[in-house]
Amino acid sequence: MEDLHDLVIIGSGAAGLAAGIYAGRYGMGVLIIGGEFGGETAKAGNIENYPGFASVDGYELMDAMKKQSEALGIRMIDAKVTAISREGHCFTIEAGDKTYEANAILFAIGAERRRLGLSNENELTGKGVHYCVTCDGPVYGGKTIAMVGGGDASVKGVNLAAEYVQKIFLIVRGKEVIAEPINFERMKKLGDKVEVLLETSVKEIVGTQKLEKLILSKPYKGSSELVVDGLFVEIGAQPNVELAKSLGVELDESGYVKVDTMMRTNVDGVFAAGDVTNHFGRFKQDITAAAQGAVAATSAYEDHKVHGDLCVLHARPESVSLHV
Amino acid sequence: MRNVTIYTTPTCVYCKRTKAFFGEHNVHYQEKDVASDSAAREEMIKKSEQMGVPVIDIDGTIIVGFDQPRLAELLDIKA
Repeated sequence: MEDLHDLVIIGSGAAGLAAGIYAGRYGMGVLIIGGEFGGETAKAGNIENYPGFASVDGYELMDAMKKQSEALGIRMIDAKVTAISREGHCFTIEAGDKTYEANAILFAIGAERRRLGLSNENELTGKGVHYCVTCDGPVYGGKTIAMVGGGDASVKGVNLAAEYVQKIFLIVRGKEVIAEPINFERMKKLGDKVEVLLETSVKEIVGTQKLEKLILSKPYKGSSELVVDGLFVEIGAQPNVELAKSLGVELDESGYVKVDTMMRTNVDGVFAAGDVTNHFGRFKQDITAAAQGAVAATSAYEDHKVHGDLCVLHARPESVSLHV
Repeated sequence: MRNVTIYTTPTCVYCKRTKAFFGEHNVHYQEKDVASDSAAREEMIKKSEQMGVPVIDIDGTIIVGFDQPRLAELLDIKA
């Protein structure tokens, strides 16, 4: 038999690590297969709404959860899962150049940042176009940048970048900015440093060796051209559902993994938590991801109590005869 | 010993991951914060022809981002 675990958690963000902590405390044999350590939380910068921490860096919070998991004996590997197959109640997971088996799977795989889908976007990524303001925002000290997106993440991005840059244009497709009031108020206090362009989108990204300017859908000060040094894209994320789909997991109408109140999917032995689900709708927070991970791990444990040895029975029927 | 320089910003998660990786494997490195050091920023842009961090310079070979397999290869770190 390959490397067998009671539960394999795919993803090591807030949902995956919280699930690991709970499953570890239930005494389950757990393997967390990482992908991108810390998920969106690690890239979030300063977090001020996770209970127990007045202010904590997202990476540090994830690192603390990782250490808590490791102290419980949870095994973690840094690899990308390329395929999962199911035979009865037994799952085979291909990750890196290795194969693992599990009695249950927990998808905490998160979501992929959306891109604008414009020509030139890929060519100019890193050369003026960026998707991680906590990473690359500080590189633009004294420069002018644009941030695309009208949600809380883009407002937090503006507030962080404002510590470094000279001027920020917040480009919002909708009629208003929808952000946590405390973050919105902080942005307002930045005064003229930030200009919000509502009902505006980026139509073109112009530049050859590096970003030179943007073409807007609506003129700003009489011109549809906006000269900026950097463009940061914060327009939400697309759930990573391909692996789940390959197992026959049902998605909801928005394309997220469909779960019941206990984070169970329609496939026996498959659970999901965090941004890959739409369990709390658009309200995607570290605390909701962690809570979902705890619930999903509890469901996996309940399942394990009933089906814990079925991996061998289902997937390796010949081995049953050894015990008869 | 390899000559390793990492160009970082204070809030960059991939920079932290890269430094943690170096720490786990006892890799000695010099860190340059491009948010506070404009000369380092220009140096990084010149070397990497882009503005994303981290940038890692290992004996003149430039890596952009936390590319663990590539770092392991260049630093002779076995899995």
